[in-house]
This record gives sequence, C-alpha cells and structure tokens, in this order.
Amino acid sequence: MHIVVCIKQIPNPDALAAVLRVDEAACAVVLPPGHPLVISPFDEQAIEAALRIRDQLGPDVKITAVTLGPESARTALKQALSLGADDAVHLLDAAFGSADSYVTAHALAAAIRKLGDVDLVLAGRQAADWDAGIVGLGVAEILDLPSVSFACGIEVRAGAILIERVLQDGFETVHSPLPALVTISNELGEVRKPSLRETMRAARKPVAVWSGVDLALDARCLTARRTLLQLFIPPKNTQCEMIAGSSGNEQGARLAQRLVEARLA
Amino acid sequence: MSKREIEGDWVMGWPDRKRAELAAGNDAEGRVISGRTPILDQEGLITPTNNYYIVTQLDIPDPVHPDDWSMSVSGEVERPMTLNLDNLRRLPGRSVRAVTECAGNDEGFFDFEQRGAPKPSRRYVPDLTRRASMKANRATPTNDELAGEMGNTCALSGGEFTGVPLAEVLKRAGVKPGAQWVWLKGFDRGRPDPAVQYRSMGRADVKVKDPGVINYDKALPLAKAMDPDTLLAWAHNGEWMLHVHGAPLRCIVPGWSGNWWVKWLSHIEVTRAMPACYHQTEYFVYGATPDDPVKPMLTAMGVRCIITYPLDEDSPLARGPHAIRGLAWSGMGRIATVEVSVDGGENWARAHIEEPRERWLWVRWSYLWTADQPGRQRILARATDEQGRVQPQTPWNYQRKHFDGIVPSDVTVE
Repeated sequence: MHIVVCIKQIPNPDALAAVLRVDEAACAVVLPPGHPLVISPFDEQAIEAALRIRDQLGPDVKITAVTLGPESARTALKQALSLGADDAVHLLDAAFGSADSYVTAHALAAAIRKLGDVDLVLAGRQAADWDAGIVGLGVAEILDLPSVSFACGIEVRAGAILIERVLQDGFETVHSPLPALVTISNELGEVRKPSLRETMRAARKPVAVWSGVDLALDARCLTARRTLLQLFIPPKNTQCEMIAGSSGNEQGARLAQRLVEARLA
Repeated sequence: MSKREIEGDWVMGWPDRKRAELAAGNDAEGRVISGRTPILDQEGLITPTNNYYIVTQLDIPDPVHPDDWSMSVSGEVERPMTLNLDNLRRLPGRSVRAVTECAGNDEGFFDFEQRGAPKPSRRYVPDLTRRASMKANRATPTNDELAGEMGNTCALSGGEFTGVPLAEVLKRAGVKPGAQWVWLKGFDRGRPDPAVQYRSMGRADVKVKDPGVINYDKALPLAKAMDPDTLLAWAHNGEWMLHVHGAPLRCIVPGWSGNWWVKWLSHIEVTRAMPACYHQTEYFVYGATPDDPVKPMLTAMGVRCIITYPLDEDSPLARGPHAIRGLAWSGMGRIATVEVSVDGGENWARAHIEEPRERWLWVRWSYLWTADQPGRQRILARATDEQGRVQPQTPWNYQRKHFDGIVPSDVTVE
C-alpha cells in the first residue's frame, strides 16, 4: 500500500499572534526574524494517521510526504522523514512563489499522478496558517478521487477504508473504496515524536525535488485564481457589560438570560 | 523501566538529539518574561543560556543601548561617580561560576515533608504562560487554586559570569567610615504583583503590603558587597548578557538567592542604615507567620542536594546496577561530602563527587547502586559543605523560602 501525505510548512501557530505584523500595502504577513517554522499541526496528524495504518498493516506500507514551498520547506520534509515517512518530494519552483490553493492543489495532484501507484492520499483538514481548508479536497477533485473530510480515525479493511468523521454534534463512520483522499482532523489524537534513531535514518533518505516542468504543469495550472484584496488585523471592539443582582444566584440567572439573548448559549 | 527513547531533532541541519527547552511564560507581545530550567536534562555544570531560569518581580524594562547606559555611585563615598560600560571594563575583571537559585525554588517540598502535601515534580513545571496572563490582568489565585498548585521547581541554574568585582568600584569610590549597606537599584519598575507573595505563602487570605510603583532594589551588607566574588557582570556563559537576564549590568551575589542578583543596574548608593527595600523587608524574609514581629531578611542559602536520577517518575526500575546521580551546592562554600541512603535513611554511604569542586558552583555526584530487592525503595541523598553544615539548614518559614530539606526518590524495582 502506498500512502501520500500532503504537508505544509507554516509559521509556528503556537507563537502568539501579537508577534506577527501585517504589511497592508503588500498584503503580506511579516514574521519576526528567526520565527520558527513547523509542519502544520493538522498535517502532522495526517502523518500520524499514515503511521497508524502502517502500524496496523505492517512494513509493506510505503509513506511518501509531499510539500510545496520554498527552500525552507525541505526541513518540514526532513521532519516527516524522521517521523517515519519513507520518501519525500519537494515541489520547488519560482513559479510556485505566489501559489494559491488552486495552484497548490494542481501541483500536488500532478505530483501524486507522477508517483503513480498511490492508494491513499492524506492531508490535514486545513493549514493552520490561513485555515482555508481548500487544497486537500481540491486535489481529490483534480484526481477524481472520492474524498472524506474531518477524519478522526481510519482503518483499512479488505482493500477499502473505514473512516470515522467528526460532525458538529457527533461522529459518523464512512466506507470508501481506494484510492481515496482523506483530510485528518485534530480529534485523531496525540501524534508521536521523532526519535533520534529515526532522525538519523532520515538524514540518509533523499528528498526528491520536482519543478513545474517535472510535473508537466501548464500555464493554466500555474496561474493563481485567488486575488487577495486586503489584509489587515481587524480592530478589536470589546464591550464589557456588568451584570447586576442582589445575590450570586440572581446575577447568575441574569447572566444566563443575557447569554441566551445574545445567542451565546 | 524500559529505556526511554531519545527524541530527535534537526540542529543546524544535522540529525541530533532534541535539545531541552526552557519552560517559558510569555507576555502579550510574545516576549519571554519567566522561565524554568530543564534541570533533569542538564549534562555538566553550566546551564545553557537559553535554558537559564528567569524570575522577575516587576515589569521587565525596555532595553537600554550599551552605549547609552551608565550607572551612578553615590551616598557614603568619598568620590561619587558615574560609570559606563567602558569605564567598568577597564577595571580588573573577574569571572565567577555560581549557582543561581530562586529563593522560592522547591517551596512545595516544605509542604510535602511537613504537611503531607503531594510531592512536587522537577519534570513537570507549572504553566507559566497562564501565570503570565494572570500577572498581566493582576488576577490573584484563590486559596483553593493555590492548594491545587504544585509549587515552584526548576528555578535554578548554574552559570559563568564575567564582570568586575563590586568591591573594585567601591574601593575607587572610597567607602566612608560607618557605611554599612550597598543599595543596588535597577531600572526595572512596576507594582509588585500580590499573587507572587500569595503563591509563595500558599495562601491568599493574608494582607500583602502594596508599595505602589517602585524600582527593584536590594541593599547588600557591606561585607558581602566587598567579597571579591560579588560581581557587576556584563557577560554570562561566555557572551554578552541577555537583556532578559539583566543586561547591561547585573549584580552577581554567589551563595545568596536570585533576588539579590539585581538586574538592570542603574544606581549604587552606599548607606549607613538599611534602606526599607520592599523586596528586603516585606518579601524575601523569614518568619514563622505573617504576623511574626521578627522577619529577618534572607541571606546565604543553606546546603542543597537533589537527586536527578532516579526519580519517582522513572519507576519501575530494572533490577541491576543503577548510577544514582545528582547535584549538590551550598550558599556558604564548597561541598565536602554527599551521602546516599538506599534504605530509607537507616544506612548512609559516601557518594563519589566529581571534579571540579568550585566554591559557588554545584558539584555532580554519583553513587552506584545495585537494585537487587524488588518492590518499593526509598533513596535519599544529603550534602555537607566545607563549613560543616549538613542538610537541612533552613526551617519552615511562612514565605517558604530557601528550602534545603532532603527529598526522597520513591521508586519501584521490578
């Protein structure tokens, strides 16, 4: 079985938003120098889902990590290799410099097509920087694969997969034939940490670098469809309302009523 | 116990061990304002600067450019002066290696030993970001919340400091006869957070004095100020001191707890009488109760010895040989002996103390133990310093400062 995991390198989302600056003229986020870059946590969970399938099925499961990004994104692939991925593919090309979800999905889809023997594609439910959640399902659309979003568990059974999906008020179990694409949600649970031994092994694994030409992407696929009109930090408009009452019980009752009125409870 | 997997990371592009990290608390701007040292992961004697613990009482000030910084020396001196970094660096310098330890480090062990409270952990430290957020909002914990908090651990580090002895500056200024105190003032300002004292006491139902907005200050007794190892330091661990650790100039007071190591120095005043520094007369004091009429200021620390392996969390241990390891240090000189008991304190044997044994830095010690009895075992370690002081030296005090008791490791052998 061959699993491809699509990952994205993003600024560490655990860092406080206050350290980020927005260049409104350039419509760009400005990171402070040395700001750490990490694999998007949802994508880490996609890697974890692939590793759990290998735990279930054995070492014949091959895992390939694919990312599109600048030179620095190689580190994310190295991290994926140290977690246990077998191969890594870096989609690197100046033409990807301003890639939007459309271009990224086309490039990833072309890479998966080029890999050839893929049974399952996994991706995080969204990247934790822009939270758009478009690329994964876009890849499925381009490759004409069945897709299931917001998975918190995957089990391979007789050449197909059973996926537990997160709903707003519960879970559902979905059956899908393979090949398929599944986006993974944080409810999957804790991810494993790379061991030193695997990290050292990862250093000997090559990272393939593919350009737009290698992927045979035409100009149509390399032309961004999204236009960012404005980027700004929304002004905070916090209002404080004190709830009066002669006793704690009365204050509590009024607070509950007020929350219901404001449709917050 | 199954051997713990070594975690990996990419360091300078190479596969390597994952480096231990400071457990940090950040302010709303993402800046580190507090930190605890991963002491159990330290190998050797010097704590890497990035892992050096950080405790501040007031607001961390804006940095001052080294070329714009100066410090005045005034009061009971023959020659008042203003010194900049260049002036200080022309004086005969000195490097000192010393343990920096927060006065409240391990405070929760007082309650563990004397009141049966849960044993604090050196592996899992409190959520400092939550505390930083509470500090920003001046939120204070309740008694119930304090009862659920573990207490301060891992607020200790070992480092090398380079600067000039404070005595060199005082000699040049000429201390007048009758002067007794050297008042060190930082340019950090703020209103002391009462939650700090509540956490120190483990209770929030005591009235704490509010001095308003103040600068951080301490007044050193002249004798300690004239000790050649008491430094005015601009460098730490072989590099310029970081702002968060007190740059451009921090006072280094080996053997005395971290609150004496005044950061961001801007003024030194020599006085005859002890000034009423808030952090000397109201906080960082001994005393049996908050109402105790006698509350001496903290000075030299006691004798300390901690076990870094094995800890309770390392259970179950495999039967066979284990190197019991730890660190020992004292506020009043070199460590003379470390003894270990593997039978709950009935018998004690000398541990091996590794060189070097420096006056103010900790020593690494080890004791080879063959764990041949399955079941629960209590391991103890105690140190004696060159003054003949043996643990514990510091009795329980209401602010729970300078804990130096003997903390057992309770482990299970398979």
